[in-house]
Amino acid sequence: MNPREEKVKIITEEFIENDEDANVGKRKKNSKVQRQLRKKQPPTTGPDKMVSEESHPGNQQEPAQDEPQTRLLSVTARRGPCSLPPIPSASRTGFAEFSMRERMREKLQAARSKAESALLQEIPTPRPRRLRSPPVKELETEFGTESGKEVGSTQQEDDFQSYSRVKFHVSARKIKSKPQVPPGFPSAEEAYNFFTFTFDPEPEEAGEKLKHQDGTDQEEEEGEEEPPAQEGANRMDEEELLHGKDAEDFLLGLDHTADEFLAVRRADYESAHVRLQREKEMLFIPSRLTVPTYKKLPENVQPRFLEDEGLYIGERPEVARTNQNIMENRLLMQEPVRWFGDDGRILALPNPIKPFPSRPPVLTQEQSIKAELETLYKKAVNYVHRSQHMIGSGDPSGNFQLDIDISGLIFTHHPCFSREHVLAAKLAQLYDQYLARHQRNKAKFLTDKLQALRNAVQTGLNPEKPHQSLDMIQKTINEYKSEIRQTRKLRDAEQERDRTLLKTIIKVWKEMKSLREFQRFTNTPLKLVLRKEKVDQKADEEAYEAEIQAEISELLEEHTEEYEQKMEEYRTSYQQWKAWKKAQRAKKKKKKQATEEHPEEETEEPYAEEDPVKPTPPEPTDRAVIEQQVRERAARSRRRPGEPTLLPELSLAGSVTPNDQCPRAEVWRREDVKRRSVHLKVLFNNKQVCRTASRQLGTDFRVHFGQIFNLQIFNWPESLTLQIYETVGHSSSILLAEVFLPIPETTVVTGRAPIEEVEFSSNQHATLDHEGVGSGVPFSFEADGSNQLILMTSGKVSHSVAWAIGENGIPLIPPLSQQNIGFRSALKRADAISSIGTSGVTDMKKLAKWAAESKLDPNDPNNAPLMQLISVATSGESYVPDFFRLEQLQQEFNFVSEEELNRSKRFRLLHLRSQHVPEFRNYKQIPVYDREIMEKVFQDYEKRLQDRNVIETKDHIDTHRAVVAKYLQQVRESVINRFLIAKQHFLLADLVVEEEVPNISILGLNLFKLAEQKRPLRPRRKGRKKVTAQNLSDGDIKLLVNIIRAYDLPVRKPTASKSQQPSRSSRTFREKHAASPDTRSPTHSADYPLGQVLVRPFVEVSFQRTICHTTTAEGPNPSWNEELELPFRAPNGDYSTASLQSVKDVVFINIFDEVLYDVLEDDRERGNGIHTRIERHWLGCVKIPFSTIYFQARIDGTFKIDTPPVLLGYSKEQNMIIERDFDSVRSLSEGSYITLFITIEPQLVPGESVREKFDSQEDEKLLQATEKFQAECALKFPKRQCLTTVIDISGKTVFITRYLKPLNPPQELLNVYPNNPQATAELVARYVSLIPFLPDTVSFAGLCDLWSTSDQFLDLLAGDEEEHAVLLCNYFLFLGKKAWLVMGNAIPEGPTAYVVTWEKSHYLIWNPCSGHFYGQFDTFCPLKNVGCLIGPDNIWFNIQQYDSPLRINFDITKPKLWKSFFSRSLPYPGLSSVQPEELIYQHTDKAVAAELQDSRIEKILKEKIMDWRPRHLTRWNRYCTSTLRHFLPLLESSQGEDVEDDHRAELLKQLGDYRFSGFPLHMPYSEMKPLIDAVYSTGVHNIDVPNVEFALAVYIHPYPKNVLSVWIYVASLIRNR
Amino acid sequence: MAAGGPSVFLLMVNGQVESAQFPEFDNLYCKYCFVYGQDWAPTAGLEEGISQITSKSRDACQALVWNFPIDITFKSTNPFGWPQIVLSVYGPDVFGNDVVRGYGAVHVPFSPGRHKRTIPMFVPESTSKLQKFTSWFMGRRPEYTDPKVVAQGEGREGKARRPPPHRQVGAWDVGSV
Repeated sequence: MNPREEKVKIITEEFIENDEDANVGKRKKNSKVQRQLRKKQPPTTGPDKMVSEESHPGNQQEPAQDEPQTRLLSVTARRGPCSLPPIPSASRTGFAEFSMRERMREKLQAARSKAESALLQEIPTPRPRRLRSPPVKELETEFGTESGKEVGSTQQEDDFQSYSRVKFHVSARKIKSKPQVPPGFPSAEEAYNFFTFTFDPEPEEAGEKLKHQDGTDQEEEEGEEEPPAQEGANRMDEEELLHGKDAEDFLLGLDHTADEFLAVRRADYESAHVRLQREKEMLFIPSRLTVPTYKKLPENVQPRFLEDEGLYIGERPEVARTNQNIMENRLLMQEPVRWFGDDGRILALPNPIKPFPSRPPVLTQEQSIKAELETLYKKAVNYVHRSQHMIGSGDPSGNFQLDIDISGLIFTHHPCFSREHVLAAKLAQLYDQYLARHQRNKAKFLTDKLQALRNAVQTGLNPEKPHQSLDMIQKTINEYKSEIRQTRKLRDAEQERDRTLLKTIIKVWKEMKSLREFQRFTNTPLKLVLRKEKVDQKADEEAYEAEIQAEISELLEEHTEEYEQKMEEYRTSYQQWKAWKKAQRAKKKKKKQATEEHPEEETEEPYAEEDPVKPTPPEPTDRAVIEQQVRERAARSRRRPGEPTLLPELSLAGSVTPNDQCPRAEVWRREDVKRRSVHLKVLFNNKQVCRTASRQLGTDFRVHFGQIFNLQIFNWPESLTLQIYETVGHSSSILLAEVFLPIPETTVVTGRAPIEEVEFSSNQHATLDHEGVGSGVPFSFEADGSNQLILMTSGKVSHSVAWAIGENGIPLIPPLSQQNIGFRSALKRADAISSIGTSGVTDMKKLAKWAAESKLDPNDPNNAPLMQLISVATSGESYVPDFFRLEQLQQEFNFVSEEELNRSKRFRLLHLRSQHVPEFRNYKQIPVYDREIMEKVFQDYEKRLQDRNVIETKDHIDTHRAVVAKYLQQVRESVINRFLIAKQHFLLADLVVEEEVPNISILGLNLFKLAEQKRPLRPRRKGRKKVTAQNLSDGDIKLLVNIIRAYDLPVRKPTASKSQQPSRSSRTFREKHAASPDTRSPTHSADYPLGQVLVRPFVEVSFQRTICHTTTAEGPNPSWNEELELPFRAPNGDYSTASLQSVKDVVFINIFDEVLYDVLEDDRERGNGIHTRIERHWLGCVKIPFSTIYFQARIDGTFKIDTPPVLLGYSKEQNMIIERDFDSVRSLSEGSYITLFITIEPQLVPGESVREKFDSQEDEKLLQATEKFQAECALKFPKRQCLTTVIDISGKTVFITRYLKPLNPPQELLNVYPNNPQATAELVARYVSLIPFLPDTVSFAGLCDLWSTSDQFLDLLAGDEEEHAVLLCNYFLFLGKKAWLVMGNAIPEGPTAYVVTWEKSHYLIWNPCSGHFYGQFDTFCPLKNVGCLIGPDNIWFNIQQYDSPLRINFDITKPKLWKSFFSRSLPYPGLSSVQPEELIYQHTDKAVAAELQDSRIEKILKEKIMDWRPRHLTRWNRYCTSTLRHFLPLLESSQGEDVEDDHRAELLKQLGDYRFSGFPLHMPYSEMKPLIDAVYSTGVHNIDVPNVEFALAVYIHPYPKNVLSVWIYVASLIRNR
Repeated sequence: MAAGGPSVFLLMVNGQVESAQFPEFDNLYCKYCFVYGQDWAPTAGLEEGISQITSKSRDACQALVWNFPIDITFKSTNPFGWPQIVLSVYGPDVFGNDVVRGYGAVHVPFSPGRHKRTIPMFVPESTSKLQKFTSWFMGRRPEYTDPKVVAQGEGREGKARRPPPHRQVGAWDVGSV
């Protein structure tokens, strides 16, 4: 609110207040109007009006008092007396003139009080006043019309004043109000005011008075309103003049309301009639009369009554007729057509109201509430699942049992069958058939039957027994005869079949024999023996002949019978024919006569009838013919007389050729068979309920299970299925076939059930690369490949299924009646048919017919399921959804389509983030709108997705490495993803800080602590509290590096060159003096022999591009004892455990020598100032990956400094005198050492590795033994590593010794030192160490340690300690050494694997990653404790008191010192190795290596060095570079030893006038980045001497299998003047 | 809504931690902090605060009145991760050790206007009786490593907590822009 507004508001308040002063705004208005009128009227009228006015105050005072607003007392007080005497207008002027001063004073006072009151009143009731302000506006308009007259007439000062005030006010008001209110129309508020004011009656009254007073008044309109205002005008005038107005005048001078200009009108009145008329136009009252149908339908449409047409119409909800009519009328007023159906009624859904109430009826009678509240005890019953085919819930015993006995399985064909097996199977099958036939012996039975029948016929024909009528006898004889005929035919067929079967058996057996001979081995023990049964030739012949004779005679008889029959037929037909002929002839005669009479008719007749053909007489049968036929048949189907009866006997007596006598393919086949195993699964109602044990396939392709499963069921059995699975080797099992077993009859109970065989066959196709014939593939027995056979895997399962018998002998069978109930109730629930009241109807056709006949209304929802059922059943295609929809209404809630959702970038971003996709895992503030999301956000991600399959070769030597890198990347991703899922797991300790319960030892320790020194001389590190890495942020974590001391640093060597030595030494000498203030003891330096140059080392630690360094110490054994603090920043600010584990940064600890060079040009200035340049020379470095620190929590110990093999200007064989006593203690190991302590502050808890259970191929017993062994070991020495099983690269648990096996190193390496095994061993170790190291703590996020086999390792060319150690150990084993894998702890790696070898008299410990070896008693051996030793056939756990290699005995034969895994109680089972037979090495392409060397690495490194020196010019000394390049191969061949002197000499010779500092770096090649980092860490580029030159040479020595050894020689040269 | 930059919505929270009912304890102070999702960022105001120590009022209700103001503005692009206020109350135990008396969290109200929330407070329970005793004796009660865990879902499996006997009352004015 601006001040201006405020003012206006105050003014209006005042106005209003005035109104209120004047009794709801009327009195003043009146007075004003009065005042105006008064001018025109003679003053004499005053008294009259006064009188009339007199009566009002009483009236008017009342509302004023009712006003809730508090008025300032002063105002009323002043007003009170003033209002009493009406002052004549004449005297007013005088009064005014008389008291000008007083008036001024009063004005002031009044103004003040007014202002106060205005302000006071503003607060409490702003509302009502607002409402009342509009009249003011109205008045103004009225005033405007009048003002003209007014100006002319008024003369008086006060009037003028008031007028001018009003005018001003009006003009001010006009701006605000005029445009809003059109003249002449009262606004709503005005109207409101008009009617609500209490003074309403007054103007009327006054008007009347006025009329009465001056009826002839010319002013018509105004006259009506103004006269009443005249009353009391004087008084009001005075009042205003004296107080109000003047005061208001002070306040801006526009106080005054235009009260006087109120227009009063008569209220309009409309007669009720008119109003009704008008209402009629607006309102519509729907009539109650029925609407004629034609109105409700579109034109020219006849109403249709669907119900009459037979369509179903639901019951409509009941609505009163009148209401319906009203609604219809109402609807007709709007759009009629839409709302009405075809029948002219309002469309309506069927009545949704249930006919009965769902609320339980309230009992009106209060008959015993107790009875209702009474609790009934019901025994808790087990809840039984309700399912479709459940057996009735009221079952007595509850459970039923089905016993399934699976005894075995025989393959009748299997892919592993050899040809012989195929034949054998065939033979076996035929033999089975034969046996079955033999058992039944149908032929014999039929022969007997035939005999019996013949006898019967004989007896029947016997005339001695004429007790039956001849007819009957004839009939029976005929029957017998026909039966004889039938039987004979059957017998013949059977006999023939028997004979052919026998023949095929023999044929197959012959084939088999020939096959065995051909392949020269036997696979099957099958052997067929044909037993001949001698027969009595004579009797046999007789019988044979008799049989034939009997048959012939019978046949003859038959034939004669037939003949006779035919003759009979012939005769009759012949008679007919004859008769016909006769008739014909007669006819012809007649015809001749007739033709004369009716020639036309007759001619047609003969054609109408067919001429019967003249029958031919049948031929009589010839006995000879029949005899021949019979004999032929007999010869074919029957055994010849005298021929011995052949009884085949199949036995398994044959011997199978042992493996070693078989050809290779057959051996393979047999091995393949051995690898296969079979198991069965039992599915009950399509649910797997049990499975048999997996059994190996026997050589005879029989599998014996012999398992009985007792199925306790409560679902009615619908189906019982056996699934046959075959497992090959270690792969997953394949479903071969499914066999459906019938549900046994209720009478079949256990014990009585026969073993049955069910055949199965599979459509599996298998082709095998050995003798096995495969399955589903054509093969042939013939050499030319003809006569192909295709056999599918098939076989038989022998089983029996029966109902079990309960304890008391009652079979556990669901009772039959219950089955029915169960089915019926199930049907009722599920079946549509129940809706029509019947159940169990199964004939759909009939049902459909019935439905059609009974004219079911297909539209009736009650019938809908039935109709659907019928339609499905009759149409033949039954659609049963085989899915279950989980969220069936999901579609309704999909507010946006799937594609649209996927297109949304925001959604995608959110989705990716919630999936923890690395790029988006920590994405913050995902924008609200799609348009704000940049496309490039996804670019990286998409690129990565694309690149997953594209192999990039830029950073890699060849595609092979690129593939490997890709592969590792993918493995890493998947493992990390797995880890992220498990990440959410928190321990209680992660969340809640809780003090541990003090136990005795802690209490004791605490007590002990009291006695402890406050400041011990040798303080020890104490454990700190661990912090879980969950609520950390940047800057919270620091890396503390405590650098304590170093040993045996190389020292500067006095240069051999005579020319340089004096200057150099003098310079350094001088420099030493210059720096003397901070050297610790100048005397110390004096201890050195003359000319001995000091080294001034300092340590620089760089981590995550933060660099800290210590102060400079002196001497080759400096002691810094300094703590450096480096901040740690997690990637993406994500301090979760998973993220921290994957930090790949490395802590570089570089040791430099600080060299001060005097740069003073002029010796004359030497007295005045010191000008030196500090140069630093790299001496070596130690690299410790952050992950190691993170997992170890702290790293404490002495480390070997990784020094370059050649360090120009420095030497190691120094200060013999001083270090003499140390040397005697220390072993002879070379190298420099540094003592460090590194930790993270605060201490972080590394994530617990998630122990997952992996499946395994190992024997279960072995696995149990490993667990037991590990538990035992952990109990004794919890800190010692004990490893028995590891996880291979495919995620399976493998017993560790399977990894160890002698493997051949590359032949080239063996050829180098053929006579020096020690050198060969070193070379091999070097080769292993050249394979790049890739810790799996980084790649696999500490989750699990994957062990790859040596060939995998060599293929991947990356691995961690275990892989290196395994490979090295295998090589050593190949070399004939006694070698073991050592699991233990080393620094800085932590838990790791080393190799120990036995070298005649001592043990050597090999570090597989560096290729170094240490004696057992080497103090600087990085291996600090030994957990267990692993050999190719056993594991030995260290149970000695100590675990330091210095203090233990490696003699594993002593069971007191080493606990072995395999012992007498658990002998070594002879585990096969997972390693390959031998390793095959490819030669590395030298050209590729050379290309990599020159164009890649060298170029990139040179560019990098130039990049690192942005402010300086980088010159390359070509000459030096080429010298270095020649030198590097030498280094490789000598493995960096003993070349320094030669090299130095050569360099000096060639670069005599240069000051040279540089060194070769050596490392295995994996990627570019480590090389670049290594060069960077040396800090060669940091030299900023103006005339410095650089030299860089790269040499790559290729080893087999793409193992590359990279040498980089970096040097800086400064020309000496 | 800021023009130019990515659009965000703002959530302004004014309020105070009014009072608490801890019938057993006296001389308590409270600490508040906010837990919010990835898409949220505070733009103005204080994310954390520690109140004065207050004593029980002498009247019947024995409220611990802090009237400790909260004033913070968040910006966000996503309602997911709506801020929660986490309150933790501390006070001296019998031996004068400062121990935690309650943790509690509640979402900042979702609708603008004046809201009043009563937060049940709880403390983690010792894992065993013996530990309970020693923690009482030593004045080192179990505490959350970070009070913010009470507003987070992770790691809630099987944490024993004392049932909430205490209540704390806070009043809020939430305005969202």
